[in-house]
Amino acid sequence: MFSKKKPMWGKKTPLKSSYDVVLIGGGLHSLATAYYLAKEHGITDIAIIEKNYIGFGGAGRNTAIVRANQRTQYNVPLYKEALDLWPVLTKDLDYNLMFNNCGNLNLMHSEAAMKAARMTIATAQFHGVESHLIDAKEAKELVPALNISDDITFPIHGAMFHPPGGVVRHDAVVWGLARAAAEMGVQIHQQTEALDIGTRNGKVTSVTTSRGTINTKQVLISAGGYSAALIYDMLGIKLPISVLTIQAMVTQPLKPVLDHVVSSGAYHCYANQTLKGEIATGAHMDPWPNYTTLNTAHYIKHQAEALSEFLPCLRGVRFMRIWGGLADMTPDMAPIMDGDEQVEGFYMDCGWGYFGFKSCSAVGKYMAEFMATKKCPDILKPFALKRYEEHKLMGETAALVNYSPDN
Amino acid sequence: MALTITCPICGKRNGYEFRFGGEEKGPRPEENGLTPEAWCDYVHLNKCVAGVQEEWWFHKDGCGLWFTIQRDTTTNLEAETVSMSKLATENEEAEK
Repeated sequence: MFSKKKPMWGKKTPLKSSYDVVLIGGGLHSLATAYYLAKEHGITDIAIIEKNYIGFGGAGRNTAIVRANQRTQYNVPLYKEALDLWPVLTKDLDYNLMFNNCGNLNLMHSEAAMKAARMTIATAQFHGVESHLIDAKEAKELVPALNISDDITFPIHGAMFHPPGGVVRHDAVVWGLARAAAEMGVQIHQQTEALDIGTRNGKVTSVTTSRGTINTKQVLISAGGYSAALIYDMLGIKLPISVLTIQAMVTQPLKPVLDHVVSSGAYHCYANQTLKGEIATGAHMDPWPNYTTLNTAHYIKHQAEALSEFLPCLRGVRFMRIWGGLADMTPDMAPIMDGDEQVEGFYMDCGWGYFGFKSCSAVGKYMAEFMATKKCPDILKPFALKRYEEHKLMGETAALVNYSPDN
Repeated sequence: MALTITCPICGKRNGYEFRFGGEEKGPRPEENGLTPEAWCDYVHLNKCVAGVQEEWWFHKDGCGLWFTIQRDTTTNLEAETVSMSKLATENEEAEK
């Protein structure tokens, strides 16, 4: 990572004293925003400021699942565009993103969940996203390893089948976007910490980093789980966010057994088989906010219990690796994308929770349009921070989420 | 993510016995003249401090007490604990 070999995204460049645009955070949302600013708007005088290395955070820690079967009319079109962009980006970036649209199978364990699935499917179909309700027998035909018997904790009533979803190699997206952005002149400054944002008369004037001060009129904070703390620390803006560690793990490699992404809300478990053969699986978030990204026996046990119930053929399989990342959760499970509102020239793109990866391509495109034209694109308007004051929370969940051990 | 929490009544216990109750935000705002901004601030907005913060906990599998602790969110370690009885003694002394 920091060897003498020249990385794909250009030689290490000295930090200039001014840039047109500064992006804080070297994750996928920043990289995609930089890529589209350069490609579609001709803005190339851009610095990406990253404390560690690009893809250190959520970009390299997520379980690589992509889908567009969310709940609300605001979210679905955004995720649909993001999903449609994977083949386009693979070609444009000339980089194999290993998009495998194997389809998502979202298991339902009660009649109430089946009813909620019908509503979600209706929304998806209305927006032109393929999504079907299937019964337990059809789910078993798709995934023969499923246990559809009644004698498990949460018997399977049916599933929401979303064929266009799947998995994308997340590291490849980081590298592909970084290379393409760097080729167009974007400077990626790793091992550089953003310390403060300077303002004068309500306008952004500079960004102070560990390697010097940069004069700029436009700055975006899209630093994943670290965004909320940075935004409060630098500008005193409080956000409706709780930051929680979320854990994921992979098993030893197995022969092909699972050719769909399978997820279950009741079991708090999602799993897919990687091309290497490992079962990559993720769990729920820690029951209290923290930035530790530490792993716990609690969730290893939880995953083992959940998987061995609904995919009993995995009993006895060993977990090989476990890791943690951060999820910045909002009460309505929808992100916050806003700009030029609290401080002129300041933009934010955060609160993605565990949805940051699947959205990055489309969000980069629209955040770039927002920053280049200084006009918020219609598709991003519902995600403004003001919605919480106006009690216009999004209906991604049926009830307001309160982050506690009970959910 | 190991966490132990010092309950003012039960002492140092496993964190899984407790329910997190949010950041300490001061008293609930007065109903009179309450603005949407102030209500939103109280209900939704957080500082998300990466470091030591004061926060509420509920001893759900224990004595049922609501209390606050200081915890470092980057290490999950309690920074400082003030026992309720010590507080009560201090208050009594202050009243005298």
